[in-house]
Amino acid sequence: MAEIVAAYGVPHTPFFPWIVQRDGPESPTALLFKKARDSFEAARPDVVIIFDTDHLNTFFLDNLPVFAIGVTEVFKGPNDEPRAVPPYTIESLPRLAAHLRERGVRAGFDVALVQDFEVDHSVIVPLHFMTPDMRLPVIPVFINGHIPPLPSAQRCFDLGAVLKGAIEQWPEPLRVAVIGTGSFSLEVWGPRIDPGKSDGVPDPDWVQEVCRGIGASQIERLISAATEARMLQAGNVGGELLNWLAMLAFVGARKPDFLDTQLENGHAYAGWCWR
Amino acid sequence: MSVLALNRLCREVLRDRAFRERMKSDPAAAVAQLDLTAEERQALLAGDVAKLYRMGVNVFLMGYLCRFEVCGLTLPVYSERIRSAGH
Repeated sequence: MAEIVAAYGVPHTPFFPWIVQRDGPESPTALLFKKARDSFEAARPDVVIIFDTDHLNTFFLDNLPVFAIGVTEVFKGPNDEPRAVPPYTIESLPRLAAHLRERGVRAGFDVALVQDFEVDHSVIVPLHFMTPDMRLPVIPVFINGHIPPLPSAQRCFDLGAVLKGAIEQWPEPLRVAVIGTGSFSLEVWGPRIDPGKSDGVPDPDWVQEVCRGIGASQIERLISAATEARMLQAGNVGGELLNWLAMLAFVGARKPDFLDTQLENGHAYAGWCWR
Repeated sequence: MSVLALNRLCREVLRDRAFRERMKSDPAAAVAQLDLTAEERQALLAGDVAKLYRMGVNVFLMGYLCRFEVCGLTLPVYSERIRSAGH
């Protein structure tokens, strides 16, 4: 049977690959991602499930699923030209992806099917740092955390729980790692960016509150606090917390092995490895 | 309202290199065939991102206008204008 072996929460800031290329392997961002990568490699996963919020590069305003699963042999990215990121071709496991989608739909989650797609920096940047040789198959699960109305925090957590059950029913002996990616407080290109910059962190207090909840495994309280209004008050990509909440459904009551909060960037790095 | 057309245009600046170049060299001609209102066309060509924002254009997509420096936008100009849109 397949088993979940590890889970990670990381940011996907599009210019981080360029910063790390410029500042080298001892730079803060490089070291934070290295910690996640070391844990990820120690977990020896066979397949990765990544919860991601697309930035209108996989989907668009004319066709915008709230939940979707990529069911394909292979997909490419990034399709939004982040600096210092090569084009990647990534394998997937369409039979497992279709199984996850079926279990999701049977459990009441109307998960859209996507078979011919590219992904943007939000999938590629975490993989670029955590599995740069791209030797592992990856199944992307898309959650609309950007374009209101957003799905509720509870619903995203529950979707994660259903997919966890679906993986545990899969008959092949696969080791599965889960990634949830995004920021907690971040405004991108919107009115609350910093002067002269393309982003800003409007609400560091919320980052602290979210990280306290994650560190103490108080996920129910975090779900109650994470209303759409509260997440978007923290920035126009504040709904990326939903990717973390879906990932946290795989973690249970475990405390993180590491949780590095980057208040000034509005996000955190966390990892749980238990097998 | 042709907000979807404006949003599509912004993404074409990312995806279509030839269109991107036309938007740099002669933006009025590049968007001449698009079905936009006079107000939308004017706001776009003026790089008035605060007004486009109020019209409902998505900011991730407007970011491409700034990133590729079309319609007179640079990062300092974009930042100042979008910040003036308030929240």
